[in-house]
Amino acid sequence: MSPGPRRGLRAAVGGLHPRWWVPTVVALAAAAVVWTVVARANPYVLPALGAVGDQLSTQPGFYLRNAAATLREALLGLLAGSVAAFALAVGISESGLLRRAVLPLVVVLNVTPVVAIAPALVVAFGFGILPKVIVTALITFFPVLMNTVTGLRSVAPPVLQVFRTVHASRLDVLWRLRVPSALPYVFSALRVVFPLSVVGAIVAEFSAAGSTEGLGTVISVASSNSQLDRVFAAIACLALMGSVLLLVVALLERRVLSWHESQARPS
Amino acid sequence: MAATTERDTSSIRVRNAVKTYGTGERATTALADVDLTVPRGRFVSVIGPSGCGKSTLLRLVAGLEEPDAGEVSIFGATAREASAAKSIGFVPQVPALLPWLSVLDNVRVLDKVNRRAGRRRREAAGPAVEGCELAGDPVQLLTRLGLGDALTQRPGQLSGGMKQRTAIARAFALQPDVLLMDEPFSALDEFTREAVQLQLLDVWHETRTTVLFVTHSVTEAVLLSDTVVVMAARPGRIAAVLDIALDRPRRHGHLDSDAMHACEHAVRAELEQAWADVLPQDAR
Repeated sequence: MSPGPRRGLRAAVGGLHPRWWVPTVVALAAAAVVWTVVARANPYVLPALGAVGDQLSTQPGFYLRNAAATLREALLGLLAGSVAAFALAVGISESGLLRRAVLPLVVVLNVTPVVAIAPALVVAFGFGILPKVIVTALITFFPVLMNTVTGLRSVAPPVLQVFRTVHASRLDVLWRLRVPSALPYVFSALRVVFPLSVVGAIVAEFSAAGSTEGLGTVISVASSNSQLDRVFAAIACLALMGSVLLLVVALLERRVLSWHESQARPS
Repeated sequence: MAATTERDTSSIRVRNAVKTYGTGERATTALADVDLTVPRGRFVSVIGPSGCGKSTLLRLVAGLEEPDAGEVSIFGATAREASAAKSIGFVPQVPALLPWLSVLDNVRVLDKVNRRAGRRRREAAGPAVEGCELAGDPVQLLTRLGLGDALTQRPGQLSGGMKQRTAIARAFALQPDVLLMDEPFSALDEFTREAVQLQLLDVWHETRTTVLFVTHSVTEAVLLSDTVVVMAARPGRIAAVLDIALDRPRRHGHLDSDAMHACEHAVRAELEQAWADVLPQDAR
């Protein structure tokens, strides 16, 4: 084999080089060993990994259905929360009056624990999807709002001056300068709230004791029945879901923000 | 108190301009009764120590600030009317490019704002404006400024000199009645600066746009300008106006000619005079 193509091949499978995956695998294996040791000693606290795996492999449909329910709540909440936050951020950046009126309210809402609001929302909106979407949206709302407001203001003064000297309209400044400048800030908020949205959905499911589906419901029902393997199988699904959401937002960010220094490849 | 002069459409005029920042004891007079006339088609540099109000003067002409007293007329229009008509090209101290757009799109982006004024300008100008061909074609303009290979690159991939040339191309592409430049080369290293100065002259020679250029470099002011305006600080005022009678087009060879040195010497003498009025005895 000539060295040329070999190097090309290595570059192509660069991510598969042992240097990259060995540390991760070793760390995972070590965690599994510790888990197994602890589970052997305390069978009523931690299920064996095999039992959790059995749960997932024997009833994949059950977990998929509940995961889909939780994911739906999380994504709808994300969408509603982000869109509302973005719209309000634009309003706030354009109107000082609106900022003074709304911002204190928003801050108070943010410092109020969502866990405390969730039961009240269940009382108001029942056991359906609505209270869960609202809780998730509330969690999403504040980080996106604050980052977008900062981002919309992040346009450098000289750029604004250049636009002012050609009499650019406010809409032009907003659309051509402020919104693109805000995108890196929006994405750093999304990186936080995408995984967090799952937390919102689970908290809401916990609060709505009569819910029929969702991984949060599975966990609360299974733990009251001491079905530890089922609890941890659901937790594993949630961990996976959070990771996938994080991956999605990272890929999206790389796409949209290819121009931004945060996306520069380390050389 | 300034009597409203007749509308002068052949030059940019600043009449008795006063600008003060702050109030009470901490007030600083950035401009005290400044008069300046820039005839159409001239390249005029404003030079002076920091704090002499040269940038403030430029910002008044750009319409970015209003004078406390006095008036600014850009070929018969107010600064506000001129910017509304898109007849001002502004090059700030830093390139101020949009990092998400390519070099070419950065030059074109101002076409997309205030479109109505852009249309009106094109109709008014007609086809036969000199230098229009070069300035009207962003690709040609960028190529002339040495950025022909960088059209699709993003600002993040460019050197400082390339960014500033892009900003200059953006201003020229507006085909403005006046170009206002606020120390555009001050952040560049010396070699880059000389190269960009000559490229600017090359394009300017073809378009003959009226230029008001703020700088703190004597060499730069003399190399580029038809007229050098020397300002003094505290309060900001015009100390002297010198015509630079060097042949055009000016090239690298001129940088070292005796005639140029003589001009530089004259400007320096005026600057020193301006300093002497300001500095206390012991600091001289």
